[in-house]
Amino acid sequence: MNRRRDVLVLGLGNPLRGDDGVGPRVIAELEDHGLPEGIETLDAGTGGLDLLHVMEDHERIVIVDAAEIGKESGQFVRFTPDEVLLVESGGRFSLHHAGLAEILALTRALNRPLPPVVMFGVQPEDIGWGQGLSPKVEAGLPTLIDAVLAEITQ
Amino acid sequence: MTTMSVNVHHVTRVEGHGNIVVDARNGDIKECRFEVVEAPRFFEAFVRGRPYTELNHITSRICGICAVGHSTTSAMATEKALGVELTDQAQLLRKLNFHGEIIDSHVLHAYYLVAPDFFGAGSVIPLIDVNREAVERALRIKKLSGDLCAMIGGRHTHPCALVVGGFTHTPTEDELRAMRERLVAAREDMDASVELFSSLDWPQFERETEYISLTKDDEYAFVGGRIKSSDGFEYPVEDYKKVTNEEMVSFSTAKWTRHNRESYMVGALARFNNNFDQLHPKAKDAAARLGMEPIVTNPFLNTGAQVVEMVHCVEDSIKIIDELLERGVNPEDPAEAEVKAGEGVDSCDVPRGILFHHYAYDDRGFCTDANCIIPTNQNMANLNHDMQELVPQIIDRPQDEVRLTLEMLVRAYDPCISCSTHVLTVEFV
Repeated sequence: MNRRRDVLVLGLGNPLRGDDGVGPRVIAELEDHGLPEGIETLDAGTGGLDLLHVMEDHERIVIVDAAEIGKESGQFVRFTPDEVLLVESGGRFSLHHAGLAEILALTRALNRPLPPVVMFGVQPEDIGWGQGLSPKVEAGLPTLIDAVLAEITQ
Repeated sequence: MTTMSVNVHHVTRVEGHGNIVVDARNGDIKECRFEVVEAPRFFEAFVRGRPYTELNHITSRICGICAVGHSTTSAMATEKALGVELTDQAQLLRKLNFHGEIIDSHVLHAYYLVAPDFFGAGSVIPLIDVNREAVERALRIKKLSGDLCAMIGGRHTHPCALVVGGFTHTPTEDELRAMRERLVAAREDMDASVELFSSLDWPQFERETEYISLTKDDEYAFVGGRIKSSDGFEYPVEDYKKVTNEEMVSFSTAKWTRHNRESYMVGALARFNNNFDQLHPKAKDAAARLGMEPIVTNPFLNTGAQVVEMVHCVEDSIKIIDELLERGVNPEDPAEAEVKAGEGVDSCDVPRGILFHHYAYDDRGFCTDANCIIPTNQNMANLNHDMQELVPQIIDRPQDEVRLTLEMLVRAYDPCISCSTHVLTVEFV
């Protein structure tokens, strides 16, 4: 039950909040696309601290998430947590729906190393209440998905 | 004489955004309130026009903490509208899934949001230095409850296998047996949890109020039942509006509710007070060790009631698994829904309290109208009345202490004001 599995692709975000749903959407597209053996996908939504245990069970983690990266809407950046400072929006520390920044802070403080994490941060246009991606983020999906596929099959 | 102004903007360690405002001059309290500044969620707009098969999945996204609670309540309301009957096995699995979420939510609230206050830690990170074992224990319990939810709901957090009519996936008997072993092993962590929370010095504050929860004849109610008030009223869930009587208030985007008094309380403490006799004996022992005997009127002990419920849910989960194994677990398809026009209301007592979903469907099974009343809204008026009674009792203390005590009161209610987006801001270094 606790065997470590290969690559986990996590989509984070709330599909009820516009472009915040880009992570779950990419997961749905990857599942439709079909993936090689040893690659697992999870639409983790706003699961918060649950992520910690899910991540610990894998060799390598690829995360797709909406992120304020100062780019044009729909553009994305690949990075590792070590390369950046992650700040949860609002800066509050509420582990009930903890975000990735908080999980990383907690695992560092507990000296409980996570498997290597690569992130694809996607610049949102609109994260107000409403379903569906904005046209710009929608238009950026094919390039994003190609990049995620290249990452997980490397 | 003193002039005191306490403004705590965006109280930390609660879900969403809420502000505490206290304005007192010469011992005269001019203002004292908890205001909610989050935009309302427009829940109804998401589900109107959508087919009945989608509603529980959409509503599970309202909140990452109560995803199973919303999904279960939503499916039950739809099942009432469309006349769907679940098998006994599916009902047992729903209860087991629900217990997983209760444990999951309570362990986070008690250990990570409330406990730091008692150890002088600003959050769970500095708590690691003070009581590392407690933080590790909470993570162990959290993993167990998350795995329990995933085993039945098919996914951590947002349960994809939970559908109208039951489940699209059935756990195997081997999986259930393995989970049973882990639950039995978790008794040690439950015992240590009771020990830890029994040792805390809870703020002394009593205020009688009305407690509202679900109730059932044969079990401690979480999934379905009748509405019960500690003031002696009972209603079928269809009459929920007689209880909630929602009203707008000028300074808050959350609607307030009232029933027999100016306010009522929902959540673990309300369930504990209303249904104490049906708790598992080990949970009653836990209550005794926590010094809790119904009726408990100190709202800070909502967290104590959560610890009691964690013990209950671990024990009841073991019992449910035994019942499932004894009956024999068979993979089964969800019960078929007959697509027709109809209306349905149902309710679950989710981690933060009683939750109502109410839907109307047209003859193609598309939602034409919807209502959802969440526990946090029902607690807002009660929290404000608590604050108004508590502040005069503590107003002479140092301002920092007043601020912390009020923050602790807000946190005791475990309010979930919004499911936030969690968009990251990334600074490249």
